[in-house]
Amino acid sequence: MTDDSLIDERATAAIGTVIAQSSGTVVKKEFQRWAAAVGDRNPLYFDDEFARANGYREAVMPPLYLPHVTLGVVDLDTLRPDGIPGESGTSALIPLPKCPRWMAGGDETMFFEPVYDGDPITASRTLDSVEQKHGRSGAFVLITSTTRYLRRDTVVAQSVVTTIARP
Amino acid sequence: MPAFFEDVAVGDEITPLLVEPTTTQLFFFSAATYNGHRIHYDRGWAVEVEGYPSVLVHGPLQAALLARAVTDWSGPSGRLVSFRTQNRASAFPGEQLRFGGSVEGARIDDGRGLIDLVVRGEKDDGTLLMPGTAVVELPRCGAR
Repeated sequence: MTDDSLIDERATAAIGTVIAQSSGTVVKKEFQRWAAAVGDRNPLYFDDEFARANGYREAVMPPLYLPHVTLGVVDLDTLRPDGIPGESGTSALIPLPKCPRWMAGGDETMFFEPVYDGDPITASRTLDSVEQKHGRSGAFVLITSTTRYLRRDTVVAQSVVTTIARP
Repeated sequence: MPAFFEDVAVGDEITPLLVEPTTTQLFFFSAATYNGHRIHYDRGWAVEVEGYPSVLVHGPLQAALLARAVTDWSGPSGRLVSFRTQNRASAFPGEQLRFGGSVEGARIDDGRGLIDLVVRGEKDDGTLLMPGTAVVELPRCGAR
């Protein structure tokens, strides 16, 4: 590792380990608020009878809402100046003090099971890789992790997420 | 929208979803996702500290709009099996965004009818925001 490396050795040491585990319960009104914020009034998410007529148990959670089910509670005095959680957020799980600016890179999720109001969800996130890259606007760090979402013993979805951290 | 796997052909286009996000929508999306990142609601911070022209449309909101275009097309009998996106560019309130795609393949996998889609979010000037792929399962005709 050279002096101009942006990658902290603590981040390298975390590769291959579970860096976060969180849990939460699906709340119908919360996923419906999310859908409404997207402008997505899909009746599968809002209308129990409509959902049942299409093979679901009741109104189903929009699949892309899943990562938000297990979010924790943030204390305002622990936020970084830009509003990102300082102690409990991703930026603290993967220490990259030279790269304070974080952006979503990409995401690939496979959905195995429908998820409903009241379902207990546990998310378990493993750090796959932390790599320094060079792009048009200079050096950045590409972080890849895999999150498995479980409802009790059933994996309902699995997501590979890349995040970009810049100096 | 297709009722059955057999209703879909390679080359079919997803009806494009046109959206012009507002700062109000961005705020509601931040609230619905418990996201305090100031680049999405604090214009002074986004412009003066981070150097953006305005507040930014969240990557996950772009992805959600792209998924909405897919599920609007596939209808209530379709089920999103897989969804992949990449963040390529920032979008700002007041820009006209377009989310669409097309059918690249149709296959039977373990008895399930799966449709492979190539999807993209873009600005009205053609700037690519979010390329991606999606797999949707549709019921097979007569398989119930």
